[in-house]
Amino acid sequence: MYYLYLIENLNGRAGFGITGNPKSRNRDYVAGCGDIVDFKYLYGGSSAHVKKIENVIKNQYVDNVWKIDGRPLEWLNNDVSMDQLKDYVDTLITERHYRVELVTNDYNFTKDELDI
Amino acid sequence: MTFKFQYQDVVRRPNPMATINPLKRGSGKVVSLQDRVDTLEKSASWNKSMKLWQEQNKKLDLSRMPKVKMFKLRYLVIDEDIQRSLDDKHCAVKIANVNVFDPALLQTAQCILTSDNKLISIDGQHTVSTIAGLIAAGMVNGVDDWREFEFPIQYIETDNLAFARRAFSLLNGKGKKKQSAYMQLRNSVFIVRIDKDLSDDDDVSVEKLVSIAEKNECFPIESFSGLNKYPGTFGNIATFKSCNEKEVELATSWHNEYFHYESLHVSTFFIFRDIHRAFNSAKLPVTETLQQELAGLVQTLFGDLGQYQESVTRAHRLWTVKRYGYQANWDDDAYACALLQLYKKFGGQERVAPNIIDRFDDIIDFFDEDILSLAD
Repeated sequence: MYYLYLIENLNGRAGFGITGNPKSRNRDYVAGCGDIVDFKYLYGGSSAHVKKIENVIKNQYVDNVWKIDGRPLEWLNNDVSMDQLKDYVDTLITERHYRVELVTNDYNFTKDELDI
Repeated sequence: MTFKFQYQDVVRRPNPMATINPLKRGSGKVVSLQDRVDTLEKSASWNKSMKLWQEQNKKLDLSRMPKVKMFKLRYLVIDEDIQRSLDDKHCAVKIANVNVFDPALLQTAQCILTSDNKLISIDGQHTVSTIAGLIAAGMVNGVDDWREFEFPIQYIETDNLAFARRAFSLLNGKGKKKQSAYMQLRNSVFIVRIDKDLSDDDDVSVEKLVSIAEKNECFPIESFSGLNKYPGTFGNIATFKSCNEKEVELATSWHNEYFHYESLHVSTFFIFRDIHRAFNSAKLPVTETLQQELAGLVQTLFGDLGQYQESVTRAHRLWTVKRYGYQANWDDDAYACALLQLYKKFGGQERVAPNIIDRFDDIIDFFDEDILSLAD
């Protein structure tokens, strides 16, 4: 099982990423954010399909990826909301038949919702 | 065992490339040099460069500008420590090729003129040698002695041979903006489409390949172009041009039928080129069923050929380490081979050319377990 997470920082900026270990990855965000931040939506499924969805997001949002010193981050500009990003991901999964599904909402490493 | 993966239709949306395809027609735009000056003046890179000129109080020294004059060829010498040896085949086959030679395409030779009046060639020795050779062979009416023949020479007055050496490097690539494979393809297409000139077989054949791809909503673009976000686009021109018309038709029609929502991955050309050639030798048809089932396999297991590439290159790496004890270089032949091995593993019933799947024995055993487990 591989995971795609949609994350929202404390100011509401939407971000995304993929991982084989959501618990560890979520813990990594604490240092950067200075707080526990939830994966607002956590999807799981085939690793190839999860990686594909991440690539499509990067490609589709190429003009809306937040850049620091010209370097693109896995965060989006302020004018893309979490709702828009989630809608986009859900539509992709449905229309392109990716073997990926929503596993849980509002996940962080302190919760034991996932058996991983 | 029946084949496991049924292709599932994906909603087709209008492809913006159908209208914005830069190869569809020329822009028809001719701009003045002022337009280019305006572009530079708005450019951050240009303004940064001009700031450095100002800081270093540098000015363009007009006395160092090259001059152009007609010189008799007998004055010209070639310093073999600066220029390469003469490539006689280049003169015979490329420049003096009887089918394409056109004096209007000759370029001025580049030289330095030393204070003791030596005219030393730094670029263009093949051109002047060819002209002299043609005169010597009696191919120029009214001119008998190449030594007395005047040819346009662009020269700079200097005694500095280090300058000549640097200039040779610059004129022969180092520091020159090279024409990309896409720009060469675009020239060929425009020569046929805009100029209606069908005299060059290569131009005509390239345009034909592009037309086939466009019919199937696939579009060659410059590598790293912003257009690569649109469906059907591809930047690997060399691989595209390595295919014949039937192979381009097979590859692009398959992409357009099943993966019309994606840019076209370069492996599509490798896969269908190899399939077409191997099936052709084995006198087997590449059936509609096979094409559809391959699409179902790619869609279900990988999502698209981009992800397939990631998986197959990893499998190939592991396979070479196991087989040879070291990591061998990637081999493009593995694309089609592994795909058809997977097709058979998952119950594909269509006949496939045996010589294509025998190449990398059991490479599919090195795919991720989450893929292979679907066969159970």
